[in-house]
Amino acid sequence: MATLISGASSPLYAARRRKNAITMTLAYAATGFGLIWLALILIVLFWQGFSGLSLAVFTQMTPPPGSAGGLLNPIMGSLVMTIIAVVIGTPLGMLAGTYMAEYGRYDKLSSVVRFINDILLSAPSIVIGLFVYEIMVAQMGHFSGWAGAVALAVIVVPVVVRTTEDMLTLLPDTLREAAASIGLPRSLMIQKVAYRAARAGMITGVLLAVARISGETAPLLFTALNNQFWSTNMNAPVSSLPVVIFQFALSPYKDWQNLAWTGALIITLAVLALSIVARFLGGQSKKS
Amino acid sequence: MVDVAYEGGGAIAVSEKLDRAKVLNRLRLGDAIFRHMTRGAAIAVLVILSGIIISLVIGSWPALHKFGFAFLYEEVWNPVTEQFGAIAPIYGTIVTSLIAMVIAVPVGLFIALFLTELCPMVLRRPIGIAIELLAGIPSIIYGIWGLFVFAPFLQQHVQPFLIDVFGPIPVLGTLFEGPPYGIGMLTAGLILAIMVLPFITSISRDVFEAVPPVLKEAAYGLGCTTWEVARNVVLPFTRVGVIGGVMLGLGRALGETMAVTFVIGNAHRISGSILAPGTTISATIANEFTEAVGDLYTSSLIALGLILFVITFIVLAFARLMLMRLNARLGS
Amino acid sequence: MSMANFTVPTVTNSVGANETLTEKVTVKDLDFFYGDHRALKNINVSLYHGKVTAFIGPSGCGKSTLLRILNRMYDLYPNQRATGTVRLDNDNILSPSQDLNLLRAKVGMVFQKPTPFPMTIYENIAFGIRLYEKLPKSELDDRVKHALARAALWDEVKDKLGANGQSLSGGQQQRLCIARTVAVRPEVILFDEPCSALDPISTAKIEELIDELKEDYTIAIVTHNMQQAARVSDFTAFMYLGELVEYGDTTKIFTTPNDRRTQDYITGRFG
Repeated sequence: MATLISGASSPLYAARRRKNAITMTLAYAATGFGLIWLALILIVLFWQGFSGLSLAVFTQMTPPPGSAGGLLNPIMGSLVMTIIAVVIGTPLGMLAGTYMAEYGRYDKLSSVVRFINDILLSAPSIVIGLFVYEIMVAQMGHFSGWAGAVALAVIVVPVVVRTTEDMLTLLPDTLREAAASIGLPRSLMIQKVAYRAARAGMITGVLLAVARISGETAPLLFTALNNQFWSTNMNAPVSSLPVVIFQFALSPYKDWQNLAWTGALIITLAVLALSIVARFLGGQSKKS
Repeated sequence: MVDVAYEGGGAIAVSEKLDRAKVLNRLRLGDAIFRHMTRGAAIAVLVILSGIIISLVIGSWPALHKFGFAFLYEEVWNPVTEQFGAIAPIYGTIVTSLIAMVIAVPVGLFIALFLTELCPMVLRRPIGIAIELLAGIPSIIYGIWGLFVFAPFLQQHVQPFLIDVFGPIPVLGTLFEGPPYGIGMLTAGLILAIMVLPFITSISRDVFEAVPPVLKEAAYGLGCTTWEVARNVVLPFTRVGVIGGVMLGLGRALGETMAVTFVIGNAHRISGSILAPGTTISATIANEFTEAVGDLYTSSLIALGLILFVITFIVLAFARLMLMRLNARLGS
Repeated sequence: MSMANFTVPTVTNSVGANETLTEKVTVKDLDFFYGDHRALKNINVSLYHGKVTAFIGPSGCGKSTLLRILNRMYDLYPNQRATGTVRLDNDNILSPSQDLNLLRAKVGMVFQKPTPFPMTIYENIAFGIRLYEKLPKSELDDRVKHALARAALWDEVKDKLGANGQSLSGGQQQRLCIARTVAVRPEVILFDEPCSALDPISTAKIEELIDELKEDYTIAIVTHNMQQAARVSDFTAFMYLGELVEYGDTTKIFTTPNDRRTQDYITGRFG
């Protein structure tokens, strides 16, 4: 007992405790520091964005410099391109993820695809914009909504591949065996049993992909470009919310800058809502 | 009990057997088709990556052919005389990313440490979720905030202070030379730091949480302090994972476009001062691509894209290898 | 450990001759490999129509592995292979030309943990039937009812056929899986420790069910519960370290085993 007390009060122990106290304080400080910046950004965003939020934002077109207007055309453009991107990217990503989790879980192709997919997942999106510019815009000779949608689809694919593979891999092998045991061919087992069991998780993946592309600006800059007017022609340049924010924020006009803030708020709210729904669904899929 | 005689062993009628075989043949065809579709989709992922590389190489060929290796180290960027060199944007990309990592890595690691070791249980989930949600906020939001709020704040309050304090000191002073523009390399680097912070934090937290509790308990059992456990058990055990996470963050910072483009200043020159405006690869492309006139100009911008892709590819590949090594260790 | 002084058990003398038996499944000189590891060594055994054969032995002895060869479930995984012959009636099911789906429709399997599909109770059953047969709705309904009745589940679920299969209790789920297996009209049913995740009452129900089913099917059951083997089976095979040590009439195996290791196992001296 006596030695223990002397050990605890030794100078060495005091130094250790001091060091611990310092580093722990640093950990608290770091957390406070990090959270403060992030909170500041959100507070300013809400402050600036809410003041401009009105019905007109959703019903009027983007205005010429120096006058009031709304964000209807970029909102619609973003929606349409996002939907097309998801429609193109999701099946491709799901099939690829299915191959890696079901057919080729242990083969060479899967491990190569897994590695490459993970790189695509964090590849600079501006490079994807250049890629689509080269294969579509340069070939067709003009910017178009299609090109923008394809660029976004290229971003959707790796996200969906990843979640599909993860979700299918999480399924117990007994489910596959049970399906096989009644003579169910592999493809039907996957489509009717595995997809159903992994549904919530796979929807989560798609929602995360939508959240990811709804704020993407760089790949749209030189694919869909921008369009000041209402346009439903996907063969022509199409306006999108992020690109309009980019253009308006850098302009010298107060009205445009205010609209940029409002647009930024709309995007942020949409992304947060999508992430929260995705998280909720994802949490459910883990439970069952 | 219902009559089940027909279910007996050999009692299935011949015709039914044939039926089954026919159905199975059809199913087998469907099976083969589906299998090939999934395989094709998996290969499509590889095709996309090769497509990116090939299209960038083809697109940048005129510029690379004209300037050769000089493209990599020339500073001049003149659309009028059609002279292009990439060193200024490369320099800007690396400097802004370094500033970001110098700040975000220690802060992110400390937050992860806080979340895994210190934070009260009730707060752990909310803070963790908040950080993950923030990691998903589009970079353009950081950009617009940087332009309207952060840059003016730095210009009025922080940069004059930095100039006053460090300016007179030799060597270090050159880093803080020149007037306080507000926008510039430092501002871009700081915004990047704020942006990659949630990212690095959430990966490090996941990695720290993967440490088997018995290891930590054993160390605590010896009387180690929290810091000693973190320093001597958690960090060594997760080292490859942390490096992987940091590299992933670096990959993001290097390729980030929107958060930087707003505040970098778009100046094609290398300045010793981090307060000076500069440019990065992605900002140059974003700012100039649609306005680029002439094939050589466009091609030079695509060549910049190729350089960016090669750099990030290497960084990301390294990051993945590190994370794979951690997983392999956890698996064994 | 010396294997040389051990001889392959002769099956014929241990099986009672006062009853004509139809061989449904015949396993001959079967070896099984996980990669390079030889998990089963020279297995010879037969399953008879209308009889229940139990496989017992300490965990890791290869009894589940053997069961999973009979419907080639191991084919789902890489680096696993079987050599020798396994005849179902007259077809060698190990031959590469064997259609696996057809085989598995003939050789059904019930697993350790209940594995209802993520769909309604009705769909769980109808799903397998629809694969191979195009039936009018009324006939399909009959088949579903019939299968559920056969698994002694009909009375409990007839009012909630639209409920999710996963909402049932563990024992009910397991009987749902049996109904699902029966619905496809198999000839052989394999039970892989079907009661190990169930409570005693559910276990009794499943055992009763196996007893009822056996007159129409060939049944094999893997169990780590020796009392269960004694209760439900007609023949018992004792396996140890990848070998089939002894095989014969259940009563005989449990009363007067030939092999010392069987004796040790059933008296609880190891395992």
